[in-house]
Amino acid sequence: MMKQDHYDLVIVGTGFASTFFLKKYLSKAGPDKKVLVLEKGHFYPQAERLKVKKGLHSEFEKYEQPWQDNINNLSDFKEWPFTTAYGGSSNCWWGCTPRFMPNDFKLNSMYGVGQDWPVSYDELDPYYYEAEDIMSVSGPEETPFPRKGKYPLPPHAFTLVDKILHKKYGSQYISQPGARASRATAHRNGCLAFSTCETCPVNAKFTIENSGLTVFQDERVELVYGAQVYSLELDNTIVKSVLFSKDGKDQSVKAEVVVLGTNPFFNSNILLNAGDQNPFTGRGLGEQLGMQVLIYLENMTNAGGSNWVNANGYMLYDGAHRKDYAACLIEANNAPYDIRLERGKYLNVASFRMVFEDLPLDSNFISKGADRFKPDVHFKDRSAYTLKGVENMKKKLPEILSCLPVEELKYLPPASHEGHIIGGTRMSADPALGVVDKHMIHHQYRNLFVLGAGSFTTFGPSNPTLTLSAMSLFAADKSF
Amino acid sequence: MLAGVGAGMCLIPPSLYFVAPGVKKYALHAIEKEFHYLQLAPGAAAKYVDDYFALNGNNTMETIKWKIIYYTGLSYNKSDRVRDLLKYFLLSTDFFINKTDESKVVNYLGMYSPYSSPIPNPYSFIIYPAESIKSV
Repeated sequence: MMKQDHYDLVIVGTGFASTFFLKKYLSKAGPDKKVLVLEKGHFYPQAERLKVKKGLHSEFEKYEQPWQDNINNLSDFKEWPFTTAYGGSSNCWWGCTPRFMPNDFKLNSMYGVGQDWPVSYDELDPYYYEAEDIMSVSGPEETPFPRKGKYPLPPHAFTLVDKILHKKYGSQYISQPGARASRATAHRNGCLAFSTCETCPVNAKFTIENSGLTVFQDERVELVYGAQVYSLELDNTIVKSVLFSKDGKDQSVKAEVVVLGTNPFFNSNILLNAGDQNPFTGRGLGEQLGMQVLIYLENMTNAGGSNWVNANGYMLYDGAHRKDYAACLIEANNAPYDIRLERGKYLNVASFRMVFEDLPLDSNFISKGADRFKPDVHFKDRSAYTLKGVENMKKKLPEILSCLPVEELKYLPPASHEGHIIGGTRMSADPALGVVDKHMIHHQYRNLFVLGAGSFTTFGPSNPTLTLSAMSLFAADKSF
Repeated sequence: MLAGVGAGMCLIPPSLYFVAPGVKKYALHAIEKEFHYLQLAPGAAAKYVDDYFALNGNNTMETIKWKIIYYTGLSYNKSDRVRDLLKYFLLSTDFFINKTDESKVVNYLGMYSPYSSPIPNPYSFIIYPAESIKSV
């Protein structure tokens, strides 16, 4: 249990947001600082998760906490997978790490849509490099977002379809930057394209566990498992203490600075339970909309990719159209799921995931549940902006793919999730328009950081993890 | 009576509630008919069918849905269940590891799983290395 009842820093959660924040904090903090980390889950090693996936027994199975049991999901059609354990959702993410595009941060000033972020791509740029180094991201030299130099690891291999599209579109169609290692590193194996990245069979995907980061073993840090934070003691403009339950007993701990690094569901729930009156707390929950399109090819096999999302296409992403409808990121999936059954044509198919940005809507929100630990999650609608993006994509895609021998395009129904949880504690320059400022410090409670994708002001098509990790580094660097 | 088969929602005659052995035979027949041009190792498809139904449920509702497919003779173009059965059969064999070579005998390796199949991804660079992908 805790060694003392007062700490310089109390961090809630051990996922990406918390870990990257703590890394930067420790690099700047003196040797006498005391940090407490409260993790609701337990350490459930990757090797043990793998045993369970193979149908074997593991002693660690008792630590499994299905996401459905942790929230009150009032919209069955919408799924929100996440992991409650040491390392958070690094245990279940799929390792995609493209950067955002610069205009993702200024949707309003560029296109008159949504709200601008108070932070810019240029401000985050050095922290993007740092996060990419930590994750040993594999990626190409040429990218559609501003970036100089090589990625830490070489890019993954293209299929023939990728080569043709890259030849036509150049830096608008690239090998996806990913935290699925293209070569073995000190802590991870090289990806073998098993395409089941949630629990990587060969430990090629970056997780907090295999990161090589020793932040939780630092002598200044105490880590307590099984500690479920449910509220805060607030006093005017500061947080005085963190309230949590462990082994059935309610406890509290005082802190100079508090960091909420859980996912948006629980960050919002903790704030709401504490009595946060900010009108935006819990509001505007969402994520991207994804749908698969199968591209049946005449006499062309799409084999040879060396990881799961082999490429990203930006041909429908940025541009003037974003005044009217959503940007779309193309993911070229190298996966076994979509083979054909016609004789001789089994692999003559490309499977593209079309990922559309969405806007935070008031009809999608997090509220306190009857159980103080379990928030109610409401998700009703997709924005008209996004749905128009889907219509546009269907009109434009045949022309975009005209360099390929396309037999047929088959659009599958939209997916129930993209694996992301975004919104609920959005950042803003104006305190009247958000919950946190550009450093993710609560506008009212000035010793409280609320990290992660909950702070995103809008939901661009690009995967959130690299950006939220860079933002944690940025926030800690600028604040201490 | 059998309207809405694709959605699995229909009125079921009482006789179909009783388990019949013909369902597995139908599944086996579907595989052998679809892949008539392949040299399937003896017993490969039968073993797969046993494993497939053991994994996917021998419960009453699953049996009913398969029997409906049997009586209506749906092909994989009209039935996701048949498509799944056929797809996972190919993925559960060494057919893709042998680069879809029809001259080779197709052996069943065990029910497909990305965690136990030797090369689960038929598109993989392990089977089609970078140097074999032509330049453009």
